[in-house]
Amino acid sequence: MTTVTAPLPTATTRKRRSLASWTSDQLDLIVTPVLALILLILLVVVWTYSTFDLTTERILEPSQLARQLWQQLYVAFFSTVIVVAVAIPIGILVTRESAPKVKDTLVSVLGLGQAIPAYGLIVLFFVWLGQGPTTVIIALATFALLPVLRNTIVGLEQVDTSVIEAGKGMGMTGVQRLARIELPLAVPVIMAGIRTATVINVGMATLAFLIGGGGLGETINAGLKLNRPTAIFIGAVLVALVALLFDFLGGLAQRYLRPKGV
Amino acid sequence: MDGIVNWWDYLSSRWDLVGATLMETIIYVVTVTVSAGVLAIVTGILTRNRPFAKEMSLAIASVFLTIPSLALFTIFIPLVGLGFAPSFIALFLYAILPILRNTVTGLDSVDPSVLESARGMGLTKSQVLLQVQLPLAWPVMLAGIRVAALLTVGISAIATLVAGGGLGDFIKSGLARLPLPNSLEAIWTGVILSLALAFTIDVLLRLLGRVTTPAGVR
Repeated sequence: MTTVTAPLPTATTRKRRSLASWTSDQLDLIVTPVLALILLILLVVVWTYSTFDLTTERILEPSQLARQLWQQLYVAFFSTVIVVAVAIPIGILVTRESAPKVKDTLVSVLGLGQAIPAYGLIVLFFVWLGQGPTTVIIALATFALLPVLRNTIVGLEQVDTSVIEAGKGMGMTGVQRLARIELPLAVPVIMAGIRTATVINVGMATLAFLIGGGGLGETINAGLKLNRPTAIFIGAVLVALVALLFDFLGGLAQRYLRPKGV
Repeated sequence: MDGIVNWWDYLSSRWDLVGATLMETIIYVVTVTVSAGVLAIVTGILTRNRPFAKEMSLAIASVFLTIPSLALFTIFIPLVGLGFAPSFIALFLYAILPILRNTVTGLDSVDPSVLESARGMGLTKSQVLLQVQLPLAWPVMLAGIRVAALLTVGISAIATLVAGGGLGDFIKSGLARLPLPNSLEAIWTGVILSLALAFTIDVLLRLLGRVTTPAGVR
């Protein structure tokens, strides 16, 4: 598209401009805590005012919830480390000018990968590798790899090529351009990748219970199996709160840890 | 090779069940994509000249994708019970963002000077929207619809955990019967049919894109 002609600022457009200066990324930092707060209030209200029968009380035993939360964060942490360590180098490699032209195909194949059911993937890894947290970690890492790699490639593509050309013109070598121009410019993309991987993994770790990997999914599942809607609700809200918290922290990090000038 | 033969035997001895289960997933994909599509496109159109409302609706739609699937599928159970309803609500909430974001991007990317010329040619505001802006934005919007449909195929496998049916049924029953005969075949059926369905939807929507994109925009 060609040049955009901006209308002259009138009183109304100026007012609109100030509202328009909000981006959805910034609003995320408000909407996420607001939703989290609503869920937290609901959680407290339900927990305080509903009378638990013995079964529900057993399901919602605090020490058990703490153990499940720990299991959930443990597998999410290690799978995120794997995803980041694999996806970002691959993303950088395939977006090199000298790389074989596989990127467009890769991006569309990875797009199709969204349709892989995480549920099926976890179960197949279970069949292959047996029970335990390691299986969960590998399954989660495989699942999160696709979107993170895709975002990294697309993000690196958007780095302004004229800046790289300018680097070339200044006589920088390929390695120098990568280290001094492209990587610093790519930091926001990489951070977005880490955030996405964390949120996906913290969320998907809820399915770890399916193959004996623990996590807060156990509480939801116990509620489903024993027909205790209150336990289901509390389990679901806890899972949602954990995910919202990590997304919020990721959003903060993205906003405040980017290199100056980018 | 044996595995593939066994799997094919498994599949061909129960086409009825496979067809019915596949149909349940297809129903999710169609109802979710259409309803989320209508909501997202209408929202995108209504907020196209209201930057704050636009960004706000994007922020709200994106927060749903943060919530883990099992949590979103189960959180509405106390209100609506088990089955199709909680699954539909969760999938619907997930599918809004891809379509809304692409509708917004598509409508925004239309060159303002093109809209000015259309106005200058005497088109009314709604004519500009329907005859100029939407056709120009359509390819981008359709890409969002495709993402939403593929997302729905993948996530709808969870529906089985809240008795919502769909291809996840095969994965669940396979896992429950491991390591008995036909359990692995059942799991593969769930995974492979999901991917096959996704591939088919991808091809169909690309074709739809070809057919419905005006010649001048391509």
